Amino acid sequence: MNIFFLLAIFSGIVIFEVPGLIYRKYWKELIVFFLFLGFAFTISLLAVLGVPLPSPAKGIETVVNFIIKLITGK
Amino acid sequence: MKLEGGQISPGQIIFLVMSFCLGPVLLKSIAVEAGHADWLAIMLGLAGGVLIAFIFTSLCIKFPGKTLVEFIEIIYGPLLGKLISLVYLFYFFLLPTLTLRLFGDFLTGLIFTQTPMVVIISLIVLICASAVRNGIEVIARCSQVLLPLTIIMLLLATIFSIPHMEFNRFMPIFEVPWAEFLRISLYSSTFPFGQSVAFLMIFAFIGIDSKKIKKARFSLILGLIGVGLLLILLVLRNRGILGATKVITVYPSYQALRIIDIGEVLTRLEIIVAINFLTMGFIAISLLYYNTALGLAQILKLRSYLPLVLPIGILMVCTSIIQFENIFEYQHFSGDIVPLFALPLQIGIPILSLIICKIRGLPKKE
Repeated sequence: MNIFFLLAIFSGIVIFEVPGLIYRKYWKELIVFFLFLGFAFTISLLAVLGVPLPSPAKGIETVVNFIIKLITGK
Repeated sequence: MKLEGGQISPGQIIFLVMSFCLGPVLLKSIAVEAGHADWLAIMLGLAGGVLIAFIFTSLCIKFPGKTLVEFIEIIYGPLLGKLISLVYLFYFFLLPTLTLRLFGDFLTGLIFTQTPMVVIISLIVLICASAVRNGIEVIARCSQVLLPLTIIMLLLATIFSIPHMEFNRFMPIFEVPWAEFLRISLYSSTFPFGQSVAFLMIFAFIGIDSKKIKKARFSLILGLIGVGLLLILLVLRNRGILGATKVITVYPSYQALRIIDIGEVLTRLEIIVAINFLTMGFIAISLLYYNTALGLAQILKLRSYLPLVLPIGILMVCTSIIQFENIFEYQHFSGDIVPLFALPLQIGIPILSLIICKIRGLPKKE
């Protein structure tokens, strides 16, 4: 059911955005749009299916702590 | 080729920066570790914020009519420039996800207790996406309408809460050691004042007239001072009403206005906090969302930023939901980690860029 909603939302976005891009012959923009939309679709599909995704907050925390360790040496 | 034909006046910057900086902090507690000296920490943070604004607007004056992505590429060369711009854009992407998460936690926790968080966050992102698609002029005009209402409501709520205040709750000042106090001030100067570094992208829409840009810098600093004064008022009000319990509440403003009771007629004023947070948070999210979409389009050299708006919005919704499991993780991350992540972007890179400009003799005259 959730996946059906997801598909409906994403196809709605495609229908909303793509005709204008094709009409103006913005091919590069079309490719970038589909790349980003594909990425967003993958992430949201995984989230809907309940796959545990890595949190960007944890990654930033690790990097910041690593740099502080480099500077202060503690 | 210009991606966006919009133009804003220097006077509109003052509205934009005030609503942008007020957005997330209307609900959050700022500098809470400083105890009774939190308003002093905010004052010192304001001084730091003005200094940050002074430094990064010097870059805007050097490169009139160019956004962050464009002039970083001129200063650092194409490859390194793109990398630094991507870090900035990631920061601009991260800040609204934090605000969105705050929205979600606040609304699902206190007002819409049965609604899933994803519904609320997606609806807010949808509204912001519509604002972003319409361009910077629309966001600026929205802030012109919404900011005066917010300030009036804030001041009225403060006046109504005076009967519930007690003076002895403001004492004793300075229970924290000096080093700790300075650290808290530094953190409060990176958030909320230092996040005005997002205006590196917005100053390009003022035009190439250097007199106008200098005026815009003045109004940016004026706006920051206004934000600082309102924040000090807010913090003092919450301290006066709640006293020592301010530290243990998650949303102190909400809790403080709940106590107001004027003749059993004016009660339950806490919804004012929700309204103010919704309107100002909308401007704050839209502005950063706009920066992300526009900057990404400029890095990829697209002819229009519109196709990027909705995919970025969906990524924002996903990120803000999977980022944290509960509000305490959120508070730890936004309080202790984000300021350290933001400090080099707000102070380090602008100063380094100014030095490199001096050495290389940029901007070159044609």
